[in-house]
Amino acid sequence: MLVFHRHSIQEETEDKRMAANRAAWFLLCWEHQAAQAALRPPPPCRAARAGPRRPQAPADPTLAASAPGRSAPSLSLASVLTSVLHFLQERLRLPQDVSFENRGRRCDRSKNGAISLTFPVFRSWKRGERRPLHQAGSAGAVALATGGTASAEGPGRPGSLQDETLGVASVPSQWRGVQGICRETKSCQTASIATAEASAQVRKHADAQVQTEAPVPVTVLPLSQHDTSRLTAFLRRVEAMVIRELNKNWQSHAFDGFEVNWMEPQQTVSCLHTLGYPPAQGQGLHVTSVSWNATGSVLACAYGRLDDGDWSTLKSFVCAWNLDRRGLNPQQPSAVVEVPSAVMCLAFHPTQPSHVAGGLYSGEVVVWDMSRSEDPLLWRTGLTDDTHTDPVCQVIWLPEPRHSHRFRLLSAAADGKVLLWQGAGTGQLQLAEGFALLVQQLPRSTKLKKPSRGETEVGVTAVAFSSFDSSLFILGTEGGFPLKCSLAAEEVALTRMPSSVPLRAPAQFTFSPHGGPVYSVSYSPFHRNLFLSAGTDGHIHLYSVLQAQPLTSLQLSHKYLFAVRWSPVRPLVFAAASGEGDVQLFDLQKSSQKPTVSIVQTQDGSPVYCLEFNSQQTQLLAAGDANGTVKVWQLSTAFTEQGPRETEDLDQLAAEVAT
Amino acid sequence: AEVEETLKRIQSHKGVIGTMVVNAEGIPIRTTLDNSTTVQYAGLLHQLTVKAKSTVRDIDPQNDLTFLRIRSKKHEIMVAPGNLAFNFICKASLYLTA
Repeated sequence: MLVFHRHSIQEETEDKRMAANRAAWFLLCWEHQAAQAALRPPPPCRAARAGPRRPQAPADPTLAASAPGRSAPSLSLASVLTSVLHFLQERLRLPQDVSFENRGRRCDRSKNGAISLTFPVFRSWKRGERRPLHQAGSAGAVALATGGTASAEGPGRPGSLQDETLGVASVPSQWRGVQGICRETKSCQTASIATAEASAQVRKHADAQVQTEAPVPVTVLPLSQHDTSRLTAFLRRVEAMVIRELNKNWQSHAFDGFEVNWMEPQQTVSCLHTLGYPPAQGQGLHVTSVSWNATGSVLACAYGRLDDGDWSTLKSFVCAWNLDRRGLNPQQPSAVVEVPSAVMCLAFHPTQPSHVAGGLYSGEVVVWDMSRSEDPLLWRTGLTDDTHTDPVCQVIWLPEPRHSHRFRLLSAAADGKVLLWQGAGTGQLQLAEGFALLVQQLPRSTKLKKPSRGETEVGVTAVAFSSFDSSLFILGTEGGFPLKCSLAAEEVALTRMPSSVPLRAPAQFTFSPHGGPVYSVSYSPFHRNLFLSAGTDGHIHLYSVLQAQPLTSLQLSHKYLFAVRWSPVRPLVFAAASGEGDVQLFDLQKSSQKPTVSIVQTQDGSPVYCLEFNSQQTQLLAAGDANGTVKVWQLSTAFTEQGPRETEDLDQLAAEVAT
Repeated sequence: AEVEETLKRIQSHKGVIGTMVVNAEGIPIRTTLDNSTTVQYAGLLHQLTVKAKSTVRDIDPQNDLTFLRIRSKKHEIMVAPGNLAFNFICKASLYLTA
């Protein structure tokens, strides 16, 4: 590409010098041309192959052929030229600052390496073209252009050829700067890579089972032949003795009247605790209901008012005391729940020690979890079409028919509906089954006083379930007549009340009425046919399920009777709460006419509204009154120890069914 | 056979609720009560009988237990221990039922 005619070194110094000058001149010219070419667009290849148009062209074909871009080849060419020039200078020992003149052209090379060319410029301009002064060195190419443009002379000045001396065109050497400059960073950036992470997880599980061996049930051994003879001999020997002893039993009086008491007998009934909640008492609230929990250690009571009219916006409380805890403060319950509406009845869950259900004055049924101090509300019915329109008088937990460890909630209210609620997942109680009582659909086993027309509901005031037959229950009504009902009743109730579940008429049998509404019924836990009902006429009726007339009727008080409960341990004992402020305990074995013990709860004669026996600690009885206090009574052992022959006596009592 | 007759005679005696025969290990051989009650009684009473027998023997080595009666509020349980192998347990009610 670069043809360099190298003169032989052996020539004379003069020749050498001349040659060196000429070479240097050529090189400089080439450098200059290279710089020029940098600013001119490279001519098309065809033109280049055709031959140079201009005298300065020789460098151009090379440039054009090899130039993909403007600046790069001129870079390399110029730098090559410069380096060659420097090489030559070194070899020929040319002084650094050399200047020579040739036919009017002057070339100066100063010490710092700047080469300045001075040459006559022939005024042969192409029309419209500028001929700026160049400075070699592509780093300064743009600067050259600008610099050159500034000092260029305007075109179109025709005139005769004249020699002019133009300004110095200095070409800075690239020797020193060659290392530093000419660096162009080119970088390319790929498009940003989008990454996404996805992971999958494989679940490995291993089944491990542990099984204890079921205890092998010991079965009765069949006897082999060999043993039979021995057994026969043994029995022969023993039989006589056994028969003799059995006979002695029947004839012996040794144990007549002999009764052993393993515990310290307590002769009297005493008050263990007097519990109250001062803020509720300050508002004058009554205790409407008490309930013991599944373990028998927590007592909950509900505050409200029982003598309200039709509407009440009273706030109420549900308080729970843990009686087994040390440091029990009677005035400070261990858990208090504030309820926006008055709570009329309470029932603890039979197996969960902290869940308690309550029926409100507004007709709602709510379940709380007393172990949670913030937001104890578990489930509620809300105010839908299904909820009661009257205050709920009683709530009872019932085991589900198929899953006996799960429970449903039954609520009864004065609007005549008995509803079964199921806890759904969202905290909402949903109606599972429903019953409605209408006067027209009551069985006519007893002549009722005022059969009314139309579809009148029968208000329910009390519910009691049989412990022998889980679908049989007794309802106490506002009309004073208890009703025997069944959960399995099929007859559809002719009611216009809207409901999501079809309501059925549950009544199967009507008993003869009290003189006033029945406020409480209680089914005997020892006998499948007996139940008690207490009404506002102050009487207690002992009914047998088999007949409409009561077996016995006892007058306990001249005022209302609010609650009656059978004792869970003694078949012949029951307790009643009266409006005169006392709790009366009856022992039918001792006396069937008057109460065995009459406990005075309130000093001022305000009524006792509710009472409950503790089925785990059988000597405890809780009663709540109108002053807002709950008293826990410890019963004497006479009431907790089952005496001999009680069950038989009860059977005898029940057998007095009038024929 | 004779075994059945004897047992039947005792069972039909006045006031007897149930009888059972238990072998030396405490496994019931003959019974008139239901299975779970039988198993429970056999296990518990066998241990008690062994204890009572050893108590009597400890007091007087020449003495031996002839009869054991447990009288409770509701029933009386009578145990006749055998020499080698068998024990006879009889449960009687304390009250005459019609």
